[in-house]
Formats: sequence, structure tokens, C-alpha cells
Amino acid sequence: MKSLFKTTFIASLLVAASALAANAQDSRIQMGSLDHLAAKASQTVDVNIDERLMKLAVRLLSDKDEDEREVKKLVAGLKGIYVKSFEFEADGQYVVTDLEPIRAQLRGAGWTKMVNITSKKEGNVEVYLQFAGENVNGLAVLVTDDKELTVVNIVGPVDLDKLAQLEGQMGIPELGIEKTKKKNDEQ
Amino acid sequence: MNDNYLWDKTGEPDPEVQQLEEILGTLRYQPAPLEIPEDLQLPRRRNYFPRLAIAASVLLAILVGGLWLSMRSRREPTPNEAKLTTPAPVKEVTPSLPVTPERKTPELKPEPSEEVVAVHKHRPRSSAPLLSKSEREEALMAKEQVMLALRLTTEKLSLVHKKTQNPGNQIKNQHRVG
Repeated sequence: MKSLFKTTFIASLLVAASALAANAQDSRIQMGSLDHLAAKASQTVDVNIDERLMKLAVRLLSDKDEDEREVKKLVAGLKGIYVKSFEFEADGQYVVTDLEPIRAQLRGAGWTKMVNITSKKEGNVEVYLQFAGENVNGLAVLVTDDKELTVVNIVGPVDLDKLAQLEGQMGIPELGIEKTKKKNDEQ
Repeated sequence: MNDNYLWDKTGEPDPEVQQLEEILGTLRYQPAPLEIPEDLQLPRRRNYFPRLAIAASVLLAILVGGLWLSMRSRREPTPNEAKLTTPAPVKEVTPSLPVTPERKTPELKPEPSEEVVAVHKHRPRSSAPLLSKSEREEALMAKEQVMLALRLTTEKLSLVHKKTQNPGNQIKNQHRVG
């Protein structure tokens, strides 16, 4: 009888732990379905930063350097950054079904498609956000072009304002948002 | 009366002594084999070996842990040191001979022991002093990957921004649904 209670207690603990882990990884998108494209791609970017590596990286970001301080603020609360980007020499190296497992995850609960741009010349861009109440808990960007396929997944509370503030710093391209605002203010 | 009886039992014994001898003689040592009663149960000897082994293992683990911690703390960089030795009062040396300003005699130089010695060991300041070498390498790689990922993300978001500014593009959905 005693052993039965013990087993039940351990089992319930395991279930609770796995439920917590699943909750924490909610905004993580599995991108394994794209791995086979690396062989066809002329250039591949594969970034896999989990929570542990993120914490290590944060420790090396300086508080004294202004640029690094901003990056540190942005990534401090994140639980992971995952990127897969493929550039191809020729068209048609990937098919729509390659992206289906990712799209299926993004159709799941919590994700909201914020932007969907379709352009015959420049390809398609989709931006998804996952909300936890009023806060953003995850970001996914899907860029599909004839010769390019990029999936970005940021897990954790993403501060889009801070992300915008990073533009122009440390080689990060400018979005032009702030400059446009400033110009309008000056006028 | 011969007192030698009390000494070596020679001579005439004293009747009182003889009486005492008779009374106490019953208590004299009687050599007899040891008899152990059959119903006597000897207490079972306890085996302390497992407990001792556990205690020794725990002690050894604590010792090893302590040694490891002390070695680890020794490896950590020490903070910058600035050592300033207070100089001894410089003796005024009056040259015995008149000396021209250009001419410098060795007698005028102060003794090495009387020099002010300032030692400032400059070591590069580390933002993460507790990281080991392998952890630091891993952290550097992670930092580079984070920067690369952020660069790529902002690049793609920049693309979104450009395309949303261009009315020629077809924007299907730009607001939260559900």
C-alpha cells in the first residue's frame, strides 16, 4: 500500500514536470522537417540557442557598451532563438509541403498571424506572434522566396519595441521607424 | 611469643591469629574450572562495517569536494592589486667635492631600497569571472549566434517594413485575429 502511494506520487510529479516543460516550450517551433534542404542549399544558417546557451551568452554581453546593453535587455528574458535559413542557387529546390509541418504548428493555439505579405517578385513574408495574455510570448517569421527559405523563431517574452531599438546597431539593419518619426517631429 | 609466625609461619602461633585464620580460610581461593550456565545468552555482536563504510564514503566525498572548491577558487583571477611601499626618509647626501650640474656622480643616486615602488598589476577585467575556459568559449559562440539571429530577424522585419510601405504589395492580414 505504501509503495503504491509512493509510485502514484512520483508519477504525478513526473506528469506535473512534463506539463510545466511543455508549457515553457509552447512557442518553440520544431523545424526538423527542413533539415534535408541543407544538402541542396548553397548557403545555410542554422542557429539553435536554448535557454542555457542564452544565459551563457547574456553573461558575456557587457553592461558598459551601449549597444551590447540594449541587446542584453532584449535577450535577457528569452528562452531560445532558433533560425533556419537556406539560400539556393536555383529555383524550386523546396516545395510547399516542406513547410507544412511548420505552418501546422503556427496554426495551433496561441499563434496569431500578424502580417502576411505576398509578392511575386520578392517572395512572401509571414510574421506570427504568440500571446500570453497581453504580452508577446513568442515570435515566428517565415520568409519564402524562389531561392530562399528562412524561418526565425524567438521563444519567450519578445519586446518588439526593444527589437526595433536594435536597428542600426552592431550590424543590425535599420528599419527606418525611428528616423521617420524624428523627421515628422522636426517638421 | 615468637612473632615470626606472622612473617613466615614459624614459631608458636597466637590463638587469636589462628582463629582468624580459620574464619577467613573459608574464603580462600579455590581453583575450579569456569562454569557457564547453559541458559545464558550472549549478546549478538553488531556488524558496524556498512555504517563505517558509508561514513567513510561521505567523509571522502566532503574532502574531495572541499579540495575541488579550494582549487577552483585558486584558479579564479584575483582583483587588481596596487602595492605602494612607503619610502624611507631619503638621506641628504652632501658631495665631498663640488659637482657641476651636468656631472652626475653615483653617490647622488638614492639607494634602491629607498625608492618608492608602485606595483600595479593590470589584468583584463572579466565580465564573467566564474566561467571556465570551455564555458567561455561556448558562451562566445552562443553570443555570436545570438547576434547573427538578431541580425537576421531584424533584416527580415526590415523587409516586412519595406513591403508594408510599398502599396504595390498585397498585405493580407495586419491585425490580430481572434
